[in-house]
Amino acid sequence: MIHIQLNKKLKSNKGTFTLDIDFTLSSNELLTIEGHSGAGKTTILRLIAGLIYPDDGRIELDDEIWFDKKNNISLPAKKRKVGLVFQDYALFPNMNIMENLEYALVDKKDKNYLNEIIDIMEIGDLVERKPDTLSGGQKQRVALARALVRKPKLLLLDEPLSALDTEMRSKLQDYILKIHRKYNLATILVSHDISEIFKMSNKVIRIVDGKIISQGSVQDVFQEKYISGKFRFTGEILNIEKDDVVYIVSVLIGNNIVKVIGCEEEIKELQPGDKVIIASKAFNPLIIKPGFISKKVE
Amino acid sequence: MNKLVGKIDSIRTSGNLSIAGILVNLDIMKAVLIETPATAPFLKKGETINVIFKETEVSLAKNFSGKISLQNKLNCRILSIENGELLSKVILDYKGEKLISIITQFAVEDMDLKPGDEVVALIKTNEVILSQE
Repeated sequence: MIHIQLNKKLKSNKGTFTLDIDFTLSSNELLTIEGHSGAGKTTILRLIAGLIYPDDGRIELDDEIWFDKKNNISLPAKKRKVGLVFQDYALFPNMNIMENLEYALVDKKDKNYLNEIIDIMEIGDLVERKPDTLSGGQKQRVALARALVRKPKLLLLDEPLSALDTEMRSKLQDYILKIHRKYNLATILVSHDISEIFKMSNKVIRIVDGKIISQGSVQDVFQEKYISGKFRFTGEILNIEKDDVVYIVSVLIGNNIVKVIGCEEEIKELQPGDKVIIASKAFNPLIIKPGFISKKVE
Repeated sequence: MNKLVGKIDSIRTSGNLSIAGILVNLDIMKAVLIETPATAPFLKKGETINVIFKETEVSLAKNFSGKISLQNKLNCRILSIENGELLSKVILDYKGEKLISIITQFAVEDMDLKPGDEVVALIKTNEVILSQE
């Protein structure tokens, strides 16, 4: 069990506010921190990693204490077993990929573990190359691999995929989930991509001005608490087109594009790129065996 | 979507299904759900609830008489009508609240609907979604 309790005065462009949070997660959990920019999300990761120090609080991982203000305990960053991945890849440009990974390897002799990570992240073909010859998605896979070769007890991901396109982001999400499950690696992800949060998280904490305003399962935090519609999906608006007195809203749900009729009042505050919940009563959808109706169903 | 606020007045359950009666502006609306009081904590008498239904699921009747299976019948007055090529958007006043019905333009012509007309808005029980914030 990981218990994180942090208190720190922060300055933002709106003035000062106090970051004051307290949460737990267990090693099989992936927790997402969600909140507006400047809410203190990145600061939380930096405090956990030991890059900056809180004014008060305690960070406890199983039986290790990384920080405890009361007892004057504060492990330096390099002794905290965390893997950090940011949006920019922060790879050493003068080293090739293998050298980048070996540099981070805790036990230099543990080549088996290194090779295992290279296999899992599928970067075997890239090890001879320099970072600047790789695509964004490849660099981020290497950055993830480098975080893992440190054998972290906690993986901290600060919007690591926000610079990637949708398809690449989805692939990288799968890699992160694979690692998380294989190594039972407690992971804290900072994200404000709702579809990413839905796909990845066991637990979500939502932060406003340094305080947790809601926490729990994704459903608890993001959906209207109770809604009796049973046919419900989360998707992203691709296009809104006015037709007659209604609007045709194209929504990407998984890999499918669905079209939904919307009213002016309904779509007023929506635009392409917005994440939405598409809900209907369970009574409406038809259930049809493929091939039963050979022509398109409209 | 159309949204009204009401209070749950009655609940009848059978197996996984329930029909809730909701008191909205002194009218009783009904919703059928795949929920029971055990699976949905909001299904409780007296609970305040949002009653939601899509504009395209609101049928209109004028000079209505006789029996009809639809359980949600709201007396409204037409405020305005926006005609498109095929569809029309009918804005309704329901006891001071705005509701919208989208029906075909044929229907508007056929029924000779115009602002000021008294109509009954009809919504099927299985088109009503309940939600609680």
